[in-house]
Amino acid sequence: MKARRLMHAGAYAGGLALIGYGLSGIVADVPVGRWAAWFVGAAVLHDGVLVPAVLVAGLVTGWIPVAYRRVVRGALVVAACVTAVAIPLVLGYGRRPDVPSQLPLPYGRNLAIVVGAIAAVAVVALVVQLLTGRRRPMSGGAHRAAPPAKKDR
Amino acid sequence: MVRRPALLTRALARRPVPPAALTTLPERFTSRLHDERVAAWLGIALGACFLVAFCTGLVSHLMQNPANWMTWPSRPVNLYRVTQGLHVMTGLAAVPLLLAKLWTVYPRLLQWPPARSAGHAIERLLVFVLVGGSLFQLVTGVMNIDYWYAFRFFFTTAHYWTAYIIIGALLIHIANEWAKTRRTVMTRPQDGLRRRTFLLTVGGASGVVVLTAVGEAVSPLARLAVLAPRRPGIGSQGLPVNKSAAGSGVTALARDPGWRLTVTGRVQRELTLSLAQLQAMPMRTARLPIACVEGWSAEATWEGVRLRDLLRMAGVQDDARVRVESLEPYGRYRTSEVRPPHWHDPLTLLALRVNGEPLDLDHGYPCRLIAPNRPGVMQTKWVGRLVVQ
Repeated sequence: MKARRLMHAGAYAGGLALIGYGLSGIVADVPVGRWAAWFVGAAVLHDGVLVPAVLVAGLVTGWIPVAYRRVVRGALVVAACVTAVAIPLVLGYGRRPDVPSQLPLPYGRNLAIVVGAIAAVAVVALVVQLLTGRRRPMSGGAHRAAPPAKKDR
Repeated sequence: MVRRPALLTRALARRPVPPAALTTLPERFTSRLHDERVAAWLGIALGACFLVAFCTGLVSHLMQNPANWMTWPSRPVNLYRVTQGLHVMTGLAAVPLLLAKLWTVYPRLLQWPPARSAGHAIERLLVFVLVGGSLFQLVTGVMNIDYWYAFRFFFTTAHYWTAYIIIGALLIHIANEWAKTRRTVMTRPQDGLRRRTFLLTVGGASGVVVLTAVGEAVSPLARLAVLAPRRPGIGSQGLPVNKSAAGSGVTALARDPGWRLTVTGRVQRELTLSLAQLQAMPMRTARLPIACVEGWSAEATWEGVRLRDLLRMAGVQDDARVRVESLEPYGRYRTSEVRPPHWHDPLTLLALRVNGEPLDLDHGYPCRLIAPNRPGVMQTKWVGRLVVQ
């Protein structure tokens, strides 16, 4: 027990030291306000916009029949992640007229192809599922939690 | 007993009870995938990615800013290509993992009360540091490899220092979650929840992100790199360019027939060589990659004069350091330092030709440095002067 407490304290000491070292470097070398805006802004936009949007997508896809929901959601997750990473390429703000080898590809078209391929895989998976009519035990529904018990307050 | 004024007592009694909608928020997340075991597995995968990215990032930083006592070997030739390729690819793979992890633990963001104690408040603050820092690194990192500098700070320094912050916060997070993670990962659950499907989907997302980009570093997969900012083979003389001659303001100086390469500093005899004199020296060929800090890399066949031949001609000490200066009038990377292991290496050239042709202006005509196991920004182009220190 004592050893565990010691490890815990050591991790806090080391971790806080590293955080302090990093912060001292930020203060010394980086415009703190602009850095903090991106640091906090990324967290706020993620927690306040991106996740709620994902939750809404989850609600909407909840209407899909249980047997097909997993494939549709899986395809959406993969396609959304690829799109998120590709956005800077598609927007192309990094293009420079004097350096044609920088962002040289038609990224909008390429993203459409990749997303199309993901959709095609999903469709094939759905068709296979439909044809084989395979039902695994506990498909779909098991992912729902029991509704919270009514508590006396 | 302390007597409180009646007004205060009444106020305390009427202390607002938060509406149930607020206090029961986390319970309203009905997907059972918001569970400890999923979070634990995603956390382990993310931790591995961050550790690889941190170590390879340090390698890149220290190669570019070595301490005085530090010497980097010039071999293996492709070491930096591998470490920096890994750095960028693990960073890309971490994007879906991080998003999934944060989705999994999102109900805990809304826990009520927000803090149960001072210790709990500190723990949550440190989690915020970890989350904010991770998102910061990945968002600005992805933008940086795509040359989109919407942030108004210098990426490299911000990325470097923020890395310490998140590794520190991660260390504390691991200490806090260690027991829970161990317990949940080591116990086989019998609840029939399909965690594996979810985790494989997230892993698949990472896989697709990496697969559509990795060809910028692994040339045989170049054709798969449909969503990479670079493609080996595209660029003048089949090689991508990071900085053009026009963009660096060197066009006139580099084209000037009066161009001379000078070797100066702590030398026995100063040298001033014209392009024709350089071309008359023994030509060597080396197959070496340009390995950029942004993760892309491409190999080429370079022909030129061995740097060590030139330095021996000028008469320098074996432990000398050489500053290679570009014709560029400004810029953070207009010079680079070559330490003994690199200039002694027979593969280190002042290249005059690439892939069988004289260097294109954008590749550093009339002459550029090319050395093994070295970041691309330190392969100085448009060399005008070597200063021996």
